[in-house]
Amino acid sequence: MLQRVHVPNDLRDAVSLLHPDAAFLAGGTLLMPIVNNDVSPWQELISARGLGLDGIEVAAGAAQIGATTTLTALGRDERLAFLHPVVESIASPLIRNLATVGGNLFAPQPYGDLAVALLALDAQVVIAGAEGERHAPVGQVLSAGVGPGEIVTQVSFATPRPGTFFYTKAMRRKLNSASIVTVAAVIEQAGSKVDSARIALGGAGPRPVRAPNAEAALAGKPLNLETVTAASDLALMDAAPFTDAHASAWYRARVLPVHIRRAILGA
Amino acid sequence: MPSTIVTLTVNGQEAEFLAKPGTTLLSALRDNLGLVAAKRGCAQGTCGSCAVIVDGLEVPSCLIPVETIAGAEVRTLEGLATGNELSPLQTAFIEGFATQCGFCTSGMLMAATALLEENTAPSRDDVVRAISGHVCRCTGYEAIIDAVLVAAELEKTKGFASRSVAD
Repeated sequence: MLQRVHVPNDLRDAVSLLHPDAAFLAGGTLLMPIVNNDVSPWQELISARGLGLDGIEVAAGAAQIGATTTLTALGRDERLAFLHPVVESIASPLIRNLATVGGNLFAPQPYGDLAVALLALDAQVVIAGAEGERHAPVGQVLSAGVGPGEIVTQVSFATPRPGTFFYTKAMRRKLNSASIVTVAAVIEQAGSKVDSARIALGGAGPRPVRAPNAEAALAGKPLNLETVTAASDLALMDAAPFTDAHASAWYRARVLPVHIRRAILGA
Repeated sequence: MPSTIVTLTVNGQEAEFLAKPGTTLLSALRDNLGLVAAKRGCAQGTCGSCAVIVDGLEVPSCLIPVETIAGAEVRTLEGLATGNELSPLQTAFIEGFATQCGFCTSGMLMAATALLEENTAPSRDDVVRAISGHVCRCTGYEAIIDAVLVAAELEKTKGFASRSVAD
């Protein structure tokens, strides 16, 4: 039963309010369903609405996105148009009007498709705590979370060069559907060979994961049906697909290589 | 468990009420202000039947603790008609049989309102996208999509097409 809802205007106040019986609330699309079910363990909510943590800056090949920037705001930013297919694949317009970039890092699979994209982009996360600010790779935040006294304030990444970002999400419906598998990749080529590849997967475990076996298999190779198919099959070594209401583990494993190939080659 | 005095602008009028901690915007509208058009469906943000427009954005009112949006401008279905004159959108829903049991209708109308305010000439795909967060278990959606497209046409000749509630 909630006893208190705080709406602090200052980040330090918000950090000082953090407490084991309190939840930090951004868009509310993940936490409020739990509150509404009367099963929440929390006595207090600490709202991010007054903190002014939203906003997008793009300069000198890098993007900095405030943690409470909504998915709608991200989807409307023409400077980050490469992310629009990612945003459009997540939930519905009215949910995207609330859901935040920072919150997406804490969405349990098969949700959290933006987090999959941020993992492929090798994003950095800025985290505020009582001791000040620290930076962590997004992969670390996805696997280990943040400390009990910490708040994610910003996500940043180098904007990929045109044509180097790839994304696909397999869904039960065309719109507003959770992920069967999600694939995001940033692949740089030098000449006609792959220079570097970062491939991130959703629907492949409890949290988004990289696919190091598939990435290594592509390194130094040309991008074609043969090399991408071989690398996609190896991604199964990096994945632990699960069964839920949307798809079985068997089905996810069966289609994962197909969707990696489709993400990268479009066929 | 201290309650909070919350002030909102609802359909153009200032509304002040006492909210217990964690009262959702939906509960405040229905239980404190008597505005019951927004429906309590899933309480998960999945069904869209509680949708209202807050500061210009369509949102599920069940997911917002009302203390966190103090001072916001809220619009509900109750604000769509002008006196007894239904909006072109409402007229198009009635004429097009776009409502059956009616539970989703309020949310559908708010989604369509938000869409038409941003895009006066939406394509069919734009409408499908706009209502993609709204579940209707009666109509099969086609009549709703058609009604929104008709309303977009009606909006161009606003006034001419709207009809009186008393008709």
